[in-house]
Amino acid sequence: MSDSAAHAHEAPTSTGIDHKKLIMWLFLASDCMFFGTLISTHLLYRKLYPTGFTDAEGHQRFVQRLFDIELTSFSTFILLMSSFLMALAVSAMHKGGQLKSFRRNVLGVIIFGLIFLGCQVYEFTHFYHQGLTIQNSVFGSTFYVLTGTHGTHVAIGVLWLVLLYFYSFTGRLGGHMGALDVEVAGLYWHFVDIVWIIIFTAVYLVEYLGPDGIWGNGLPPVPGLTP
Amino acid sequence: MLSRFFARVGLLVLPVIALLTAGCSEADLKVRQSTFDHKGPVARLQYEVFMDSVYLVTVLFAVVGGLLVYAVIRFRARPGDENKPAIVEDGHGNPLTEILLIVASIGALVFLAIPTLKGIWYTDDVPEELVPAARLSAWYPRAEGGVENYAEAVKDQVLEVDVVGKQWWFRFEYPQLGLTNEGRRSVPNELVIPRGVPVRINLRSEDVIHSFWIPKVAGKVDLMPGRRNHMWIQADEAGHYYGQCAEFCGDSHAYMLFRVEVVEPAEFTRWVSAQKKDAAEPVAGSRAAEGKALFAAKTCAMCHNVGGHFGAGAFGPDLTHVASRKSLAGAWLDNRDPAAQQAAVAAAGGNTEASAPVDHAVQKANLIKWIGSSGVLHGDGEATRDVKPGNRMHYYKMFNVAGLNETRTQLTAAELDALAEYLLTLK
Amino acid sequence: MSHDHHHAPVASRYDLAPERSDIGLIRPDRFTGLRDWLTTVDHKKIGVLYGAFAMFFFLVGGVEALAIRTQLARPENDFVTARMYNQLFTMHGTTMIFLGVMPLSAAFFNFLVPLQIGARDVAFPRLNAFSLWTFVFGAFILNASWLFEFAHLAGWFKSFDWYNALVYRDFAPANGWFSYAPLSGTFGQADAALRAPRFTGVGTDFWIIGIQILGIASLAASFNFICTILNMRAKGMTMMRLPAFTWMTLVTSFLIILAFPAITVALIQLMFDRQFGANFFNPTAGGQPILWQHLFWIFGHPEVYILVLPAMGIVSEVLPTFAGKSLYGYPIVVFSGAVIGFLGFAVWSHHMFTTGLGPVPTAAFSLLTMAIAVPTGVKIFNWLGTIWGGRVRFTPPMVLSLGFIWMFMCGGFSGIMHAAAPADAQQQDSYFVIAHFHYVLLGGVLLGLMSGLYFWFPKIFGRMPKASVAYWASGLVILGFNLAFGPMHYLGLAGQPRRTHTYHAGFGWETWNFVATIGAFILGIGVFIAFANLVWTVFRGEKCASDPWDGRTLEWSLPSPVPEYNFARSPVIVCRDAFFVHKHGPHRIAYEQDGGEAGVHMPSQSWMPLLASCGFLLAGLGMPMSAMGVPHVGWVVIAGLGVLFIGIWLWALEGPGGYMLKTPVSPVSSAPAPAEASSAR
Repeated sequence: MSDSAAHAHEAPTSTGIDHKKLIMWLFLASDCMFFGTLISTHLLYRKLYPTGFTDAEGHQRFVQRLFDIELTSFSTFILLMSSFLMALAVSAMHKGGQLKSFRRNVLGVIIFGLIFLGCQVYEFTHFYHQGLTIQNSVFGSTFYVLTGTHGTHVAIGVLWLVLLYFYSFTGRLGGHMGALDVEVAGLYWHFVDIVWIIIFTAVYLVEYLGPDGIWGNGLPPVPGLTP
Repeated sequence: MLSRFFARVGLLVLPVIALLTAGCSEADLKVRQSTFDHKGPVARLQYEVFMDSVYLVTVLFAVVGGLLVYAVIRFRARPGDENKPAIVEDGHGNPLTEILLIVASIGALVFLAIPTLKGIWYTDDVPEELVPAARLSAWYPRAEGGVENYAEAVKDQVLEVDVVGKQWWFRFEYPQLGLTNEGRRSVPNELVIPRGVPVRINLRSEDVIHSFWIPKVAGKVDLMPGRRNHMWIQADEAGHYYGQCAEFCGDSHAYMLFRVEVVEPAEFTRWVSAQKKDAAEPVAGSRAAEGKALFAAKTCAMCHNVGGHFGAGAFGPDLTHVASRKSLAGAWLDNRDPAAQQAAVAAAGGNTEASAPVDHAVQKANLIKWIGSSGVLHGDGEATRDVKPGNRMHYYKMFNVAGLNETRTQLTAAELDALAEYLLTLK
Repeated sequence: MSHDHHHAPVASRYDLAPERSDIGLIRPDRFTGLRDWLTTVDHKKIGVLYGAFAMFFFLVGGVEALAIRTQLARPENDFVTARMYNQLFTMHGTTMIFLGVMPLSAAFFNFLVPLQIGARDVAFPRLNAFSLWTFVFGAFILNASWLFEFAHLAGWFKSFDWYNALVYRDFAPANGWFSYAPLSGTFGQADAALRAPRFTGVGTDFWIIGIQILGIASLAASFNFICTILNMRAKGMTMMRLPAFTWMTLVTSFLIILAFPAITVALIQLMFDRQFGANFFNPTAGGQPILWQHLFWIFGHPEVYILVLPAMGIVSEVLPTFAGKSLYGYPIVVFSGAVIGFLGFAVWSHHMFTTGLGPVPTAAFSLLTMAIAVPTGVKIFNWLGTIWGGRVRFTPPMVLSLGFIWMFMCGGFSGIMHAAAPADAQQQDSYFVIAHFHYVLLGGVLLGLMSGLYFWFPKIFGRMPKASVAYWASGLVILGFNLAFGPMHYLGLAGQPRRTHTYHAGFGWETWNFVATIGAFILGIGVFIAFANLVWTVFRGEKCASDPWDGRTLEWSLPSPVPEYNFARSPVIVCRDAFFVHKHGPHRIAYEQDGGEAGVHMPSQSWMPLLASCGFLLAGLGMPMSAMGVPHVGWVVIAGLGVLFIGIWLWALEGPGGYMLKTPVSPVSSAPAPAEASSAR
């Protein structure tokens, strides 16, 4: 993570962008393709199997009825707000290492990140008890793997920020390099947030569009449907 | 130094090239699965597009390759060069040359793109202009002797064959003509089609991906699990064609062959009627009757259908007419006498589609070899030494469950013989 | 904390006082021998290690190829069993691509890129070491499947309960390097233990985890190289003055970071199918095996260019050197490389023309595939233009590069034939395709890489490989290669399908298969001699001057072998081919006033990259073994992940470290002293 041949006191880089920031941008470019592939998989299968899934009892289930859009909207909002706090934390470091402000804000990011993860854990258990498993349908497979992968990204981000939070007490976050470390973590966090907005749209919101959605003519009747 | 090197390499290469060219002959272009020797419109079109690309490439090769050889010889370093000043330049190249070359390359590719695009649509489905003559009603009598050959509803359709891929054999079904696996009368491994009539092929797989390829008649299309693919074929000469699975499908991929019997339309209708007949009862007390009993006792009937005798099997190849087929075990084992086959091809002027009839001695030996190899214990490495390693010829292999290995069917030589005798009666 | 905070510059790192890093461990800066190589962060040593491992795996893949050819020498041969054959071709493809060509290219990236751009190291030296060791362990995991397979065949597992309970007893992967689902995946409903029935055993799990780990290594290395090339160029080294090889490295690295995520996701999905009963590619539960093919080839086609572009870069360096003339149309060569990279993402479905895409996609991919021939052709034209009007000197690297152009051109031509989808319907999955891509990858890439080895070997080791041996080896390689793969064009068109372990007599394939086998053995002998010549040179070769070829780029301005700090003083560049112009033309290379007694900053060596990679080794070996049902091995996986985490954490904690190293004031052998150089301007 902090591995650079060019020290702060050495010549600036050819592009003027720090190595660490550049490599993070490159990683994020790669991660775009990564999430792009996962989201495409989900959307392709949703298009192929628009009628939802069949639960363990053999009942046809609709995805719209499964989702708790209020809860997911809330956790999305929380994650968005965490990005706001992250921006404040980065800004605090850039204004000459205001560590107190940094700590306050980053603690907020960590807590919001944990709330988001908590919502996801709740959602997963809830869906599981509603009969959606990774095994019983393609929707289950793509949904859990996509959102789970995003959750893993959030968890890694939280871990990273926790480490930065503790480092802020050891003097490791001083100077230009400290601000850079925080900024790079911030880039990652914002990216994970943006990806979630796309996932929220592509996985959750689209279920409410069209004639089958809550704004349409309602769901077609299916025998044995458990509402 | 270098000239000596080239002289040596030349000495090596020239005789090799001479030997190789001496080894070539026109017969090489007419081998069993040759794509050069096209025998139908689809393969012909594919061959023509290929030849277009060959012409294009030959010209490019001559020009670029020639220039390369010329440049290397013409601009080789010569004694005294070291005293001349070095060539120092910016290396920007000449924009006009570059643009001309790019335009020329694009032009060359357009030459190939046009037949390619035409070909893609032509090979996709039976072309409109061929449909009228291809309708079943145009060549296939709807009823013969009071027996309905196909339903009124399908009379305007083109003949369709469903090709189903399994590890490691093909099942052919003619749903319009009532030859289906559900109706317990499908045709394994030997496709029969009428000559000169376009046939629509529907492809699907019941396990992994396979690919349906009859090089002389049409290029391949894959059998994708979870999807239905289609293609069309037409063979313009009657004869016995060879095909093969072209997508890697597991242990015995190399053994997944099939045959195509192209017959005159009238002969085709007779063949369909014959296929629908049930197997005759073996003579009571004969070895064949003994074999029939074994067929049930040794669980063969769980997977194999024998029309009129056993109707439970839908998993394995239909054996109702097994003795009428020229091959066995996914067309890996040939039921013809090799010498007779060679003679038949020679008599037809090297036409590999000529075929000798089934030789019953060879057929019986094949049956014993095939059933026997799949049922005899070979020790732990047995799965890899079968005629077709990994085949599902036994119950335990169908389900791949550990522990079932011990319950496998064992056959004595006498039992094998009886089974073979029974199968030989299934004409 | 690091040496440079406390010490005056030293003349050699062995003079350093033992120094503890922030986490209390002594920095492994003063080691010699094995521990030095294990902890090195020097891009040149890492490059040499990449090269050594790559050449080893080339030989492994070559032995696999010869076993394949031996089996096919005559019809119905039983040299190997069907399954062993399938394992051989799977491992041959995987080994050659991921453990042979890619790391050998990485060896060149590592060794050359910093030298060519005038840098002292890569942007992240420890990350570079991490990429190396992760590659090595990924390669080991992949090949560990052979050890299990051989132990199984020898019957060593018979007394183990887990072995006797195994349903699928194949240990080396047998899916082909493409591992198409559902053959590699699942089929049917998962049981209570979340395992669905499948067609293959644990070999596939070894393959999945091995490729996944190799992907991580490639990704990490590519981030590093892009960063290095964009950020660490010497003064005046603008993007359009970069050597062509460095440009191709940049394009390749971008291809890797954008293409590998697709295979990473596909492998995760396949792993979830196999281990947790997910349904991504399980057709009985609605999964679509065709999706695997799309994901695989979205990675797989750029991968082809990942393999080819570095070799093209090498040829673009070798030709100008021995034609004594700058690369003709440099801007358009660079641009066409980038266009190839870009279009490489838009042609993947030409691997799937026979899967029933429908006419419109088939037509689109057919045309795009033809379009990619244009930038490729542009490269060949410009290489021709480079020779045109030059003074061509014949040396082993030049002969190999000319061989590259010739063979690659042939491979490109058969590629155009596949682009015509109707013709491809006959060629797909036949020996014609094998001939095509071996002309591209063996006649093309391998000759290109061998050319690079013979070209830069004097720079790497300061010793010159024997030219006469090199000529003989090249002759054998080219002869054997054409003998082996030329006839396969015919075999494919005569209807022989790929990946079949045997064939019947009577199909007209006997003669040419036998010829191909003879060719393969000649080729094998040629490659072996070429490699043996290099190994011999490392130890016994004749010492040579630092610039034996009249080189053009910056690396030739340095002594051979190159000192640890690369540039005693950082160069300042005013034109392309700076060193050649420096020697013969109007512009001199100027040097900055760094280095000397004040020293240059060197990064400290570290154990942490190796430690973190060991985590991958444990986890990667543990996962397939736990899939086999070996008891308690789940703990090994957990331990591996723990080691990985601890390795990365300590890596971050210990900091980059570093020390100051004195450099000679006037280090450049054939270049004038900096003072003179600046006055000359």
